[in-house]
Amino acid sequence: MATKAVPAPKTRPSKSEFKDKEKPAQIRSSNIVAAKAVADAIKTSLGPRGMDKMIQDGKGEVTITNDGATILKQMKVLHPAAKMLVELSQAQDAEAGDGTTSVVILAGAMLETSQKLLTKGFHPAAISDSLLHFSAKAVEVLESMAIPVDLTDNASLLKSANTALNSKVVHEHSGMLAPMAVDAVLKIVDPNKDQNVDLKDIHIIKKLGETVEDSQLVDGIVFTQKSQGIGGPSKIEKAKIGLIQFCISPPKTDMDNTVLIRDYAAMDRVLREERQYILNITKKIKAAGCNVLLIQKSILRDAVSDLALHLLAKQKIMVVKDIEREDIEFVCKTLGCRPIASLDHFTPEALGTAELSEEFQAGDSKFVKITGVQNPGRTVSILLRGSNKQVLEEADRSLHDALCVIRCLVKKRFLIPGGGAPEAELSVKLTQYAHTMKGMDAYCFRAFAESLEVIPGILSENAGLSPISTVTELRNRHARGETHAGINVRKGSISNIIDENVLQPLLVSTSAITLAAECVRSILKIDDIVNVIR
Amino acid sequence: MTAESVLSIQGKRSSGTPVRTENVIAASSVANIVKSSLGPVGLDKMIVDDVGDVTVTNDGATILKLLEVEHPAARVLVELAQLQDEEVGDGTTSVVIIAAELLKVADELVKQKIHPTSIIAGYKLACKEACRYIQNNLTMNTDELGRDCIVAAAKTSMSSKVISIDSDFFANMVVDAAMAVRTSDGKGGYKYPIKAVNILKAHGRSATESAIINGYALNCTVASHAMTKKITNAKIACLDFSLNKEKMKLGIQVLVNDPAKLEAIRQREADITKERIEKILKAGANVILTTGGIDDLCLKYFVEAGAMAVRRCKKSDLKRIAKATGATFLTTLCNLEGEESFEPTYLGEAAEVTQERVCDDELILIKGTSARTASSLILRGPNDFYCDEMERSLHDALCVVKRVLESSSIVCGGGSVEAALSVYLESFATSLSSREQLAIGAFAQSLLLKDATDLVPKLRAYHHSSQIKTEHSQLKYYGLDLIEGQVRDNKKVGVFEPTLSKLKQLKFATEAAITILRIDDMIKLEQEPSKESGYQQALKSGQLG
Repeated sequence: MATKAVPAPKTRPSKSEFKDKEKPAQIRSSNIVAAKAVADAIKTSLGPRGMDKMIQDGKGEVTITNDGATILKQMKVLHPAAKMLVELSQAQDAEAGDGTTSVVILAGAMLETSQKLLTKGFHPAAISDSLLHFSAKAVEVLESMAIPVDLTDNASLLKSANTALNSKVVHEHSGMLAPMAVDAVLKIVDPNKDQNVDLKDIHIIKKLGETVEDSQLVDGIVFTQKSQGIGGPSKIEKAKIGLIQFCISPPKTDMDNTVLIRDYAAMDRVLREERQYILNITKKIKAAGCNVLLIQKSILRDAVSDLALHLLAKQKIMVVKDIEREDIEFVCKTLGCRPIASLDHFTPEALGTAELSEEFQAGDSKFVKITGVQNPGRTVSILLRGSNKQVLEEADRSLHDALCVIRCLVKKRFLIPGGGAPEAELSVKLTQYAHTMKGMDAYCFRAFAESLEVIPGILSENAGLSPISTVTELRNRHARGETHAGINVRKGSISNIIDENVLQPLLVSTSAITLAAECVRSILKIDDIVNVIR
Repeated sequence: MTAESVLSIQGKRSSGTPVRTENVIAASSVANIVKSSLGPVGLDKMIVDDVGDVTVTNDGATILKLLEVEHPAARVLVELAQLQDEEVGDGTTSVVIIAAELLKVADELVKQKIHPTSIIAGYKLACKEACRYIQNNLTMNTDELGRDCIVAAAKTSMSSKVISIDSDFFANMVVDAAMAVRTSDGKGGYKYPIKAVNILKAHGRSATESAIINGYALNCTVASHAMTKKITNAKIACLDFSLNKEKMKLGIQVLVNDPAKLEAIRQREADITKERIEKILKAGANVILTTGGIDDLCLKYFVEAGAMAVRRCKKSDLKRIAKATGATFLTTLCNLEGEESFEPTYLGEAAEVTQERVCDDELILIKGTSARTASSLILRGPNDFYCDEMERSLHDALCVVKRVLESSSIVCGGGSVEAALSVYLESFATSLSSREQLAIGAFAQSLLLKDATDLVPKLRAYHHSSQIKTEHSQLKYYGLDLIEGQVRDNKKVGVFEPTLSKLKQLKFATEAAITILRIDDMIKLEQEPSKESGYQQALKSGQLG
């Protein structure tokens, strides 16, 4: 049972007797073993032929995924050192968005090597220093093998998005999702200026139903709400869009105030006043030329009353209500409109203009889609469909990975081959470099260089190939100077991986190596665990 | 695995082959449950839930939905059945059985040391090939076969259900109903929104006395017994508000200083509604349908005017009626001048609105709607379970008809497609030299296990010759006749299924099987311990002691 076998020492220093701390070496090895176990756990989901994990949480919800970061987040590991690895994969997710599995496996391999070195009598600080040197050198080598890429080069971008999607459940749809990711990112960046991409500008809307193939990239905006009101228009060309933050419903008096009626005639007046009040609002809206009205969600009272809907429908104004507070900014940015907080500010200048606003049916639910925005902001929406919740969630995660890959390319415009080629190359180059070094450092260097071969090893193992023969052949090819030789999972052989269109951004690999090295260094430096009891 | 035990998580974790086998066993036990209800001689299940409600059905999706399966892998299959139900509406049992069969064979292959990824790749290839083969070789166009084939497809779908004896009768009914709700989609094609077919159940009498009504049946009665029960040339108003005595809103207080004014205010409350009713009646309405309530006091105005008023209708019903009759569904009477009014243009028209007694219930029937045709089915049966099952069967049949009409292509049923595919895929597998060959062979095998009788070899022989020799190409429509227990030409007999249903079955089943096959690790987390209250925690840690 995994729960019972917590190797973490539970030393409780009691007041009466003095108890010696457990030996630092033991702590270190316990940390390393725990962290390595994490790496082992997700090993099988690396690469295009990686397997999935099924995780059932306490409430019985099931997640099926092979995204390293997601698996680890869901797994709830207990050991503090293991938790560091979990955070490591989260960090990679935030930094690069892809390679979350490889970073953990790399860290695991480095830890294993460190353990061997420790038993040989190396001081942890020496190992740690050498690791720092190692990662800096590794980045250098990676940069030397990188291929510069231009953001206008659609084909290369597509290839790297495809590589990211290949290992996912949804990979049969990669032919459709990859271009979608590329288009989405390219639409929101200015290739000459931007050095980063704010993925918040890509709105991913998940909706259950149909299949992943029916997902679409919308140049404009999609609301999952249906248009309100009965008998109102469901399609408006040359839409003038107003986004209001006030309510169109009878104003509520404050708690203590009441309206007094002394006369029966006043009853009619009350009813008429209400109608007049709402009619007045709707007329003003119409007068400003608005024909599509978006209403922010209100928790205080009905954002829009039935009466108002009826009147708006009569004036041929399309109404979408319940726009979330946090979406307002995105909506404004997309449609080029201003949020209108009071009726007095409802002027034609505040409205956004679009070619078409249309309600359409997808499966059982209805959506409102606004396209052809006149002054579009740099935003884009993706409507993601999936036949069941698991597929939909996984599609979302996969698409996120693909988007991140493209973002990496915007940040750092270099590509390197995938398929274990960079790791094999690093291993060969750094071993060579180690020969030129002196002292203990050289030994550590060589050991770490060897540890990098774990990635191609696992890749080939997951693909059902023999890891030893594949890795040795790979090493041989790289030693002969074939920088781009990698494991061709589809054919089960070693070939020039660039010809196979397996490409990944440089940033993913460099950040994986630096992050993993840093994490391993901090684990190595721990020599005591103190459990504080609350 | 020794390394695994080191990983400490809150929960259980298992990985490798045991997980796969466990998943496969869970999946096939689900399939075993529904297995006996497949096909025309399939049997029904009786499911009793924890409240004691009884359901008798042989619809795969319904059975699985009620089962409350716990195992996550088995749940994938349950969802699969639901998905098939939503997308196609029929073939829910078959899809589960195919998926489970695929898994079982895959598990065998894994045990023979074939890597799961090779199997997955093989399955994908096989599925693609199979779909291509169905589309190219096995489909028939409904246009050349005419209405008979649509009826035959409906009949095939019903053949396994309780109503199979009267399938002739029901098949025609279903096709009529589907035809009645036909709407143009604006692009030259037609859509069949089968949701618009209103199905009402009433127990009593025999199933054959079920009827199709050319119009709309509403499960409501007139508000007052003094009202007339039949109106010809009806003018219908559809309202979405109550015609109750007007109540002031919250925050409005009525303060009466003079007792004499009390009566005036009370009178006014009633009059506000009265004025509304008068406006509606003045516009010429003689049938008023509302989703809200109508006060007894106000009913008298309708009775006096000789109009029919129905309260508490379902909103979805009213929306459809509004569409069918051309009425405007009103949420308020307010017009753009800020006054209340009711225009005659808001009214819909129908030839006749009557209240009729069916069994214990009274129904309102709206016949001869002006804007669009509508159809309603009234089902009769000896008891509620029977009626429920009839409704499910008819829903399946309606879906089948819809698919056939929309895609206008069908394939032969009775295992003929499966047999053909199996033969085809086996020969296709031998043409490959990679490891996927075994997986495709397995795929072919698992398709056949569906109808495991001694007729299968004969059927395969027919299909084999149909694919080898061109002069025997007619044999490709051969399938099983399970009642007579022989092999026959299912095209002649008229056992059809929509192509879409078969394609989706294959695709969904393969997808589900792959989803489960890809899992090599299962982590079950424990429920997080519920937080005890602060007091108890304090007590435990001894702070209060």
